[in-house]
Formats: sequence, structure tokens, C-alpha cells
Amino acid sequence: MTAVSSDTRVTDERGMLLRLYREIARGRALEDVVHQLVQERSFRGFFHPGRGQEGVQAAVCAALERDDYLLYAHRGLTYLTAKGMDPVEILGDFHGRVVGSTRGLGAGTVHCVDPELGIMGQGGTLGSSFTLSAGLAMASKSLGQTKVACAFFGDGASARGTFLEAGVTAKAWGLPVVWVCENNGWAVSARVQDVQGTSDIAPRARALGFHTQVVDGQDALAVYEAAREAVTQARNGVPAFIEAKTQRIDGHYTGDMQPYRDRDEVAAAKARDPLDLAGARLTELGEDPAALAQIREEARAEMTAADAAARQSPFPDGSRIHEGLWA
Amino acid sequence: MTETKPITYAWAINHAIDEEMQRDPTVFLIGQDVGRMGGVFGLTRGLFDKYGAERVRDVSIVEHLVVGGAVGAAIGGMRPIAEVQFADFLLLAGDESFHKMAKWRYMHGGRLTVPMVVRAPCGIQGGVGAEHSQSPEAHYWHTPGVKIAVPSNPADAKGLLKSAIRDDNPVIYFENRRLYRNKGVVDPDPELLVPFGQGTVAREGTDVTIVAWSAMVPAALEAAEILEREQVSVEVVDPRTLVPFDMETVAASVRKTSRLLVLHEASLTAGPGAEIAARAADELFELLDAPVKRLAGTDNPIPQNMALEPFCYPQTDEIVSTVRDLAKW
Repeated sequence: MTAVSSDTRVTDERGMLLRLYREIARGRALEDVVHQLVQERSFRGFFHPGRGQEGVQAAVCAALERDDYLLYAHRGLTYLTAKGMDPVEILGDFHGRVVGSTRGLGAGTVHCVDPELGIMGQGGTLGSSFTLSAGLAMASKSLGQTKVACAFFGDGASARGTFLEAGVTAKAWGLPVVWVCENNGWAVSARVQDVQGTSDIAPRARALGFHTQVVDGQDALAVYEAAREAVTQARNGVPAFIEAKTQRIDGHYTGDMQPYRDRDEVAAAKARDPLDLAGARLTELGEDPAALAQIREEARAEMTAADAAARQSPFPDGSRIHEGLWA
Repeated sequence: MTETKPITYAWAINHAIDEEMQRDPTVFLIGQDVGRMGGVFGLTRGLFDKYGAERVRDVSIVEHLVVGGAVGAAIGGMRPIAEVQFADFLLLAGDESFHKMAKWRYMHGGRLTVPMVVRAPCGIQGGVGAEHSQSPEAHYWHTPGVKIAVPSNPADAKGLLKSAIRDDNPVIYFENRRLYRNKGVVDPDPELLVPFGQGTVAREGTDVTIVAWSAMVPAALEAAEILEREQVSVEVVDPRTLVPFDMETVAASVRKTSRLLVLHEASLTAGPGAEIAARAADELFELLDAPVKRLAGTDNPIPQNMALEPFCYPQTDEIVSTVRDLAKW
């Protein structure tokens, strides 16, 4: 049994916040590299930036054990690096090189995989993580493991029917799932309020009998505390749900100028940048701003080096398409 | 092995599940009414009492969860047998079956495995209408990444299901409801498996080859009996699995007969027979003395009227007359 303290409050605020700050900075630096790849057209495909949401991803992953399952979502990359994935493999996927986690098949956020770290992939159609996470949780329970299955998704995917099907079943069987809704208020170009008649996703999880928390997604420490609580609940057989109210700073994909969105609203989102907020709190706690700049610089250097390493890897032969279909 | 009493196709399926659950603790059943009730067709009777609710999992009306949950459990180290009550219902879990089950391994570079079986009762029987009667094997044959079993008799039903459960790939196992009560001798040896991709010659003959599977095999055999009296010798090839498909057994038969009829219950247009006929035209052209013929279900939804059902899929007299015409070439 994984030891989980019943008290989920953080005692070493500065230490934990520093850890989260580093993970947010790493995820953001990786994403900056990907933006470059899109611009220079070395990556052709969709990339959905997670700028503004990195705090949720970093904090939830910090509350997971190494072998807990993760079904990430399509927006951003921070959950992957925060769960421990090698950025060279991630960038290898973007470049379509054999060093990538899919060994040359390519991926762009979705399909990155690392079974050793419990990173069980992601599909290109949203909402499948509900049923898959329920299945992974079923396996964990049946095999006498303590692993939880954590699934990230947005407010948009929370409207899928799979939410209900997997939710009622997870409740019925006490499955160890942790569902994390990154509610950024926008499903591509549609306001959640306009298409779902509400801005709040948590009530539907509460109605299913999940342990439910709503948290400010821009406050990484608050998300971490909620995630610790959720993971504890799930390990004890209570399906857990976190709605993190968060901000999408960029467009739906790289290059989306967001004409459907009010400029003031985007500016307000930028003003609540999770990296800046964590940095400000750390400075209040006595952290030297120069040390924070150093962390950001290290993250940039790490991701630049990872990109260079990924580019060293060869492209697969055309025969790669015929490998791996069958076990 | 000693002589055993014949058992039904349905009971052969039950035995296969029971033996594999006994052998491997990671095998479990999930589906509507599979537990306390023992299945809507009684196929899983006794298993709930023997293995308990954790391994024989009743669910609500949640096809997305049945198939998607099975995919998740499979990548997490289990060997799920997911039952959809009717093959038609598998289409409710379209994303889970076409995308997640079939593609999850490949999309993730071959680094995950999806060892699972979907049991899909198919076929026209009982006046249950357009959404409870289909044989959607072509839908999945068109989807790389899924194996397909189509047993026609109790021995194959058992041996193929056991192979499917032990396979590390996803398998859709189409069990035809018209066959459930058919009886046959089944070797009780629990290690007797029927391999995938190995067709069988259900009846030897020299004039015309019929390729048929599932409930069309007994129909083809009945037609062959009638034709024998007319001095037309029919060979019946049962591929037993569509993926992988045993073209060699078909070729060996056509080498003898030079005439080929593809027979299936699913509707004709863009059906599974189109693939076989195209491959025969391409690969067996030199061997053929006649056009490749297809006889299949009609291109209409199945009416909810038992009196009309026989008009919807090939009947023995149609098979006889089609073969008779083919033999004239």
C-alpha cells in the first residue's frame, strides 16, 4: 500500500511550490520548442497549447506515484514531463523520428506513451479516457495493485456520454479513478456556458457519487492539495473528481488567433499565469527572483538540448508502417 | 480421448469461457446480464456462482464502458471477455471498438497490448428486427488491428474462443444465434485449441467450391447433399476466421473445382464476400472456369417480422440453384 498521509495540507510550502514551479517552467519551455517546430514546419499536425494550464497538470502529477496510471489530455505537455517522461522521446514524436516514444510512428501530444511510468497513451477522439481509465482502475483492483488511474480532460469532453457510462460504473464498483477536469471555459470556440447551460462541471460528478472538489487551477499549490486528497480517496475505493478552473491563454491550436474571444478576457487570463503566480508567491516566501530566473533558464536549456538530441535521431523507413499492428 | 456426448454450440462457448477463467485468473467477463442471469441466451450460466461478481461483471446499459473499459483493463494486464448482447450493439461502441480497441496498440508504437475478446451474438433469428439481427463482420474486416472469428459448429466455437482469449490481440468473436442449439461432439481436452487463420474443408467435392462461415456452413452442407443427388459435387470451405483469412485453403479447393461461390448472411453490397471474390479474381484467375459468384443477405434492413426473415438471407433452394448454374460453366 502506498503511504498517503491523511493530512493533505502541505507543510513545506516553499519546497513544494519550488518543485511545481520547476515543472511548470519545464512544460512551458518544452511547449515553446514545439511552437518553434510548428513555425519552421518541422512539425505538421495539430498542436493544442496548454499555456495557462500547466499548474494543474504539474500539481496533479506531483500527487501521483511513479506507477499510477495517467491518461493525459490533448492540451499542453506538462503532464508528460511532470510524470517523468523524457523530453527527447516527446520531441522525437513531434519530429517523427525513431527516438520518439512511438518509435518513429510520430505523435503530437496524443499517442506519446511510456508504460513504465504508467503513461498509457491518449486517443485523438476526446472522452475515451473515461472508459479507459475505468478499465485500468478495474485491472489495478483485480490484480491487487494500489495504482490509481488518473484521466485529464477538458470541459468540452466532460459532455461526452462516456462520462456517464464510465462514471456510474466507477461508482458502482468503487474504482480508483481520479478524473481531472481542466475547465478553461472554452470548447474550441464555444463558451461552456453557451453549449452546456452551465459553467460548472463538478455538479455532474457529485451527482454520480464521486468525491468532488473545485479548485483554482491557477494556484498550483491548491491543486496539489486537492490532488493529494483525490488520490487518497481513489486508493480507498472512492472515485474522485477535481474541477480545476483554469485559463487557456493561447488559441485552440498554434496559430489560432482567437477572433471569437474578447481581448480583455485573454489579457485577464494572461494576468493569472500560473508560472507568474507561483513565482510571486515564492518571492513572498523569500525566494530570490534570480533563483527563479535560473530555474526557467535551466528548463529552456534542457528543452533546447532535448530538441537537438531528438533531431540527431533518424527518421523511420517506410516499412515502419507495417510494424507493431499485431502483438 | 474417450467418446463424449454431443454438446450445443452455446454450451461449447460456456465451456471455453469456464476453462479459460479456471486456467487464467486475469480472464474476466463483462457485459449486461452476464452474471446473475447467466446471459440473455443462457451462455454464461453457472459462471457467476463459480467465479463471483469481480470476475463476472454485470453492468448497466453502457456499451461504451463495456468495450472501452475492456480496452483499459486489457492494457492494464487483464484479459477481458466483453459481451455485447447483440452484435448490432457493438456499433454503439464505435469509437471504443474501431478506434481504441483496434488502434490503441499501433497508435502507441506497438508498446501496449490489447488482449481482449468481444463476444458478439449475430444473425437473423426470432423476429427481433433491424437492430438485433445484423452480421457486421465486414465493418471490422475493414478495420486493421482486429481479428475476427466466425465459428460454424460447437467444436470450432470452443476451440476458437479459447484461442481468442489467449491471443494478445483484440478479437471479435461472432457467434450466430441460429447455431446456439446445434449439437456436435467436442473434445473435452482443455488444451485443444483451434488456431486462427486455418480454414477447414467441411465437405469434399470436385465441381464447385462454396466458401461459407458461421450459420451459412450448415446451409451449404444441406445444399451439397441435395446437389449430390444431381451428380454435382460440392466442396465446402469454412475459413473459421476472417482475420487472418486462409486464402490457401480456398485456392487449394478452387484448384480442384475451378468454380467459386462465396456465401454469407451479411448483406451483399460491400459485404465480406466482396473481399473474397476480389481476391479470388486477382489471385485465382488462371484457375477459374466461371465468374466468381456471391450469394448473400439482401440489401435491406431486417424487418421485425419472422415471416419475412427467410427472404433476407440465402436459403437452401437458392444455394442449390446458384451452384447448379455455376456447375454448367
